[in-house]
Amino acid sequence: MNNVVIELQNVKKIYKMDGVETHALRGVDLQIKKEEFVAIMGPSGSGKSTLLHMIGALDKPTSGKVILDGVDISTMRESDLARMRGKKIGIVFQFFNLHPTLTALENIELPMIVVEKDKKERQQKARELLKAVGLEHRAHHFPSQMSGGEEQRIAIARALANDPEIILADELTGNLDTKTKAEIMDFLLKLQKEKKMTVTVITHEPEIAQYAEKIVHIVDGRIKVGG
Amino acid sequence: MKFADIFKLSLNSLTHRGLRSWLTILGIIIGVAAVIAMLSISAGMSQNMQAQFSSFGTDVLTVSAGRTRAFGPEGGFGDRFQPGSSQSGTSGQTSQTTTTPTLTDKDILAISTADGIETVTGVISGRSTVQYLAQTVTVTVEGVDPAAWNTMTTSQLALGRFLELGDGNSVLVGNSIANGMFNYNLTENTPIRIGSKTFIIVGILKQSGTGSFGGDDRTIFMTIPAARQIVTGLDTDQYSSIQIKITDTNAVDQITQNVDQVLYSSRQVTADTADFTVTSPTSMLETIQSTMATLTFFLTGIAAISLLVGAIGIANTMFMSVMERTRLIGILKSIGTRNSEIMKLFITESGIIGLMGGLLGIFLGFIVVGVISSVGINIMGMGRMGTGTNTSVAVVTPELILFALLFSTIIGIISGLIPARKAANLQIVEAMRSE
Repeated sequence: MNNVVIELQNVKKIYKMDGVETHALRGVDLQIKKEEFVAIMGPSGSGKSTLLHMIGALDKPTSGKVILDGVDISTMRESDLARMRGKKIGIVFQFFNLHPTLTALENIELPMIVVEKDKKERQQKARELLKAVGLEHRAHHFPSQMSGGEEQRIAIARALANDPEIILADELTGNLDTKTKAEIMDFLLKLQKEKKMTVTVITHEPEIAQYAEKIVHIVDGRIKVGG
Repeated sequence: MKFADIFKLSLNSLTHRGLRSWLTILGIIIGVAAVIAMLSISAGMSQNMQAQFSSFGTDVLTVSAGRTRAFGPEGGFGDRFQPGSSQSGTSGQTSQTTTTPTLTDKDILAISTADGIETVTGVISGRSTVQYLAQTVTVTVEGVDPAAWNTMTTSQLALGRFLELGDGNSVLVGNSIANGMFNYNLTENTPIRIGSKTFIIVGILKQSGTGSFGGDDRTIFMTIPAARQIVTGLDTDQYSSIQIKITDTNAVDQITQNVDQVLYSSRQVTADTADFTVTSPTSMLETIQSTMATLTFFLTGIAAISLLVGAIGIANTMFMSVMERTRLIGILKSIGTRNSEIMKLFITESGIIGLMGGLLGIFLGFIVVGVISSVGINIMGMGRMGTGTNTSVAVVTPELILFALLFSTIIGIISGLIPARKAANLQIVEAMRSE
């Protein structure tokens, strides 16, 4: 049990909009172990994004428990939860990941600024990460001056800034061409192996899910057993 | 997040919004400049008046015909408070109509019986043309009793001597008339033509600094008999006003009442039907100070409204900014930024707008104040040009600058408070969904 990084116990999530209840998650139990590469698959509207929000502590469940590194997040204060998110979890989203008025380098530095790392240290780390994603020549470019693939690589570099235990990716290759998709996924896989990180990707594309060791299917707010 | 980093991020997003940030700042600039200009002009005017009043003897009361509470129905303030001078404006010409009550020897006699009176003297004043060489100007002419006037005035001689009893053809000339009004300056022993009569200048007064009120600087003094030939419309026993020198300046109020009482009985009127007014420099000063306070409050109030509009501009910009950056706020939160830090980020942004607006507003306010000072416009219409005195029209104090900076920054912060709260309370998931 002690190598479980994230555990979801009977997690339910109900969204209320204009009096209408939407059951996004209907009781999900899930364990993600250390250094695992997990893909969460499901059709749109199946609740996979909600599941990622739970795993990433971006949202709290309506009922059930989300235990992150042994701590039930529902017991945590907002400010502590935010910091924990910053230090332990690196998240990459599908669109508009980057701060538009900061350069590539500054974007990578941002999570380290948030957790108040020393200036010298964070600048050095940002340069290392920029080098790791092969975009040193883009250091002082703004997101609008980069391609989609480059932006996602910067986003990944940023997610790695605080050496998180878990990387969460929400359709990170959704709007990229096939070649770039492969590049990004190869990079992510290499990173996971090298840094011994836990990676969870959400996708509806089977070819992306192929990269994962474990595939979790979610349909209609429930984990499909045997998927 | 450290405050220095929050500040840098706020500044970053402000500079990237360029024109929009500047337009918002402009709203505050105008507001602050208006407040600065109004407050400093008011302060300047107050200071001006204090300076002028302090040059008067506080031991001289003035009785004028007609009932007024603050300022006379005819003429300016001048004829109410200034010892031995200045029936300014039109009072000499228009106040002595058949319907207007007059002051006579009988009143002087009555006043002299009141307690606390040292000297009582009637004054005749009016406007007259003055001709020197080929130039003609119109100035205030005053007929005074030299024996009494010389003891009451606070004016000093620049040249020559004061008037003496029996000076039938001699005049004493105010500094501004002697210097600058004519192409050639007047000196003692110069003949000038006043009305249809020729007079010899026996003395010229020093600059009294009361020019703004049409005081001694802009008046020609002569003896009463001489003045009666120049100022028409007054019978031989009538005066434009009466000056009273009192024995005890600490008892101004009491002596004023004494004078009131003797005049009530001699003129057969009551407090309600009184047809005269007794004013003391101190009571006048108090009246003017309270009027100034009201004026300052009013003008600053108007300026404050423009500042309020500027504040609403900030709030609007900040709301827009929160809406536009909803997704970015989600991103910031997802990488560990706390709600309180998001709040600080936006408040700092609006605070910077306020501070910038304050700084530039003060600068613009300085320019406005400078222009007004150099043009010499006196808001209350009392500024008369060419007196040569350098009385400050506006005063900008360091306290005012500090206050303006602090105030505009606080306005910025307050305006940003609600938008910042909105940003801080955004749910990450919902924020991430917005496009």
